[in-house]
Amino acid sequence: MREGNVVHISAPVTVVGDIHGQFYDLVEIFRIGGYAPSTNYLFLGDYVDRGLFSVETISLLTCLKLRHPNRIHLIRGNHESRAVTQTYGFYTECVRKYGSSSVWSYFTDMFDYLTLSVVIDDRIFCVHGGLSPSIHSIDQIKVVDRFREIPHEGPMADLVWSDPDAEKEDFAISPRGAGYTFGSQVVRKFLAINQMAHILRAHQLCMEGYSVLFDNHLSTVWSAPNYCYRCGNSASILEVRPGGQGQEIQEGDMYFNVFEAAPENERDGPGQQASLNAGGKLPEYFL
Amino acid sequence: MSSSESKYRPPTKEILSKEQLEQFQASETHAAIIAYIQRLNESVVGVRLTDPCDESEAVKAIIGVLDSVAHLATETPPVDNAGSRFGNPAFRDFYDKVKASSKELHSRIAGIPEDSVQEISLYFEESWGNRTRIDYGSGMELNFLCWLYCLERLGVLRPEDDRAVVVRIFWRYIGVMRVLQSTYWLEPAGSHGVWGLDDYHFLPFLFGSAQLRGHRHLRPKSIHDNEILEEFSKDYMYLACIQFINSIKTAHGTKSTRV
Repeated sequence: MREGNVVHISAPVTVVGDIHGQFYDLVEIFRIGGYAPSTNYLFLGDYVDRGLFSVETISLLTCLKLRHPNRIHLIRGNHESRAVTQTYGFYTECVRKYGSSSVWSYFTDMFDYLTLSVVIDDRIFCVHGGLSPSIHSIDQIKVVDRFREIPHEGPMADLVWSDPDAEKEDFAISPRGAGYTFGSQVVRKFLAINQMAHILRAHQLCMEGYSVLFDNHLSTVWSAPNYCYRCGNSASILEVRPGGQGQEIQEGDMYFNVFEAAPENERDGPGQQASLNAGGKLPEYFL
Repeated sequence: MSSSESKYRPPTKEILSKEQLEQFQASETHAAIIAYIQRLNESVVGVRLTDPCDESEAVKAIIGVLDSVAHLATETPPVDNAGSRFGNPAFRDFYDKVKASSKELHSRIAGIPEDSVQEISLYFEESWGNRTRIDYGSGMELNFLCWLYCLERLGVLRPEDDRAVVVRIFWRYIGVMRVLQSTYWLEPAGSHGVWGLDDYHFLPFLFGSAQLRGHRHLRPKSIHDNEILEEFSKDYMYLACIQFINSIKTAHGTKSTRV
C-alpha cells in the first residue's frame, strides 16, 4: 500500500461504518448502495470480530480493493489489530476455518498497511474513531508511522479509539481505556484549523444506524444491523453527493441510507452454525 | 481537630498499563479473588436453584438491598430516546440514585464497619453499568463479585453462606441486571458476539456448569433442546441463561452462540 496516512478522494462516494463480520449485511449494503465499482465506497474500519463471517467479509473487501484500488478505500479500525482480534473472534474464526493461524497472521499483517484517514472533497474528514489531543492539523497525521500494530496510546491509537461527547467541550479520559472523548470546542477548532466542514466516523453503535452531533459538524455511521443478533438496531450507509462546497454541509450533500438486517441472517445465523459445528467439537461433560 | 487514620479509602483506578496488569495478575489479591470464585463454585456442585437453601440474616439483608435497587429502576423509567445513540439516558439518573442511596443501603446490612463503606461502596455502585457509555459487561459483574468478596473479608458473609451467595444473592443480581439491561437498553460492552456465550455475563455460566457437574442426563448439547430448557431452566442457572438468550436473540429460531 503506497497510500499515505491521509488519502484524498472525491464524491460521489458511499461511506460505510462498522461491519464486524456480518457478511450478509455487507452484501445487503451492495444491494442497496450499488455494486462496486459502479458505486465508489469508503469503509471506515472494524471489518472483523464479533460476527460469524469475518473471514468472508475481509476477503471480499480485500479483493475489491485489489481489483478497484481507486474506487474502494479501506480505513483501519481499532479491531484491525492482532491483540483485539485474538480476543474478539477473528483469530478463532480463522483457526476454525483454515486449521491454523497463518491466514489470521497474513490478514493482520495486511492491516498494518491500511490507511488511517480519508478526506472527501477537501471538506469531510473521515476516520474510524475520532480526534487526538496530539493532532491539531491533518499534516501531523501524515508523519505518523502507521506500519505497525496499533499502539496502546499516542495519535494512532486515538484516531481509532476516540469518541465524541456532546456534553463536553474538551478532551477527557475515555471510559474505553484507550483514546479520549472530545467535545464541541475540540471539533470546532479542528474544523477551523483544517478548513473542513465535517467529521465523519464510525466506532459507536447507533440505534437508528447513524447519529449527528455538534450542530451537523460530526456524524457517526454504523453499518451492522441487529448487532450481536440482539440489539435490534438499524444500520446505515452514508451517500456523499458531488458538488458540495463551503464550510457547512448543506441539505442534500449527505444522505443516510438506512437499512435493516439481510434476510439471509435468518437461515444462516448462529443457530445453524452451532448445529454444523456441534458434530465434533462439543465437550462431552460439564467440567 | 483530630482526625483518625482510616485503614479504608475509596478505591482508585490503578491498573493503567500492561505491566501493571501483569503485576496485578501475579498478586495475592488476584489469587484471593480467584480462590473465592472457585470456593463459591464448589459450593453449588449438583445444587439446584429450587433446592432449599438456608439464608442467614446477612444474606437476607443483601437480597433486600438488591430488591431496593430493582425498585429504584421501576421509579426511574426510560425517557424518550430520540436524541440518544443507543442506551437510554434515564440510566444515568438510575445510576445517580443508586450512588446517593448507597450509604443507606449499606447500613441495612449488619456487621459492616461504617468506616469501610467509603471503600466497598464503589464496587457496589459500579455493578450496574457504565454511566458514561450506558453499557454493561463482565467487568461490572466482577465489581459485584468484588463487593461480595469485600463483605466476606469483613466477616459479614461467611463460608457457610457460600451456597446462598450463589443461588440466592448472585442469581437475584442477575435478575436485577436483566431488568436494567432491557429497561435502559444497555449496550453490550466488550461482547465477543457469536464467539462468546453471552453478551453481558460470564459467572452464571461458570456457577451454572458447577450446578450441572455430575448430572446423570444433562450434557452440554442439551442446550440445543428446547424441551429440556423448558423443563430444567427453573433448576439450573446455565439453562435459564440459554433460554433467556434464545428469547432475546433474533426470533425465527436462531439459537444462541456456539458452545
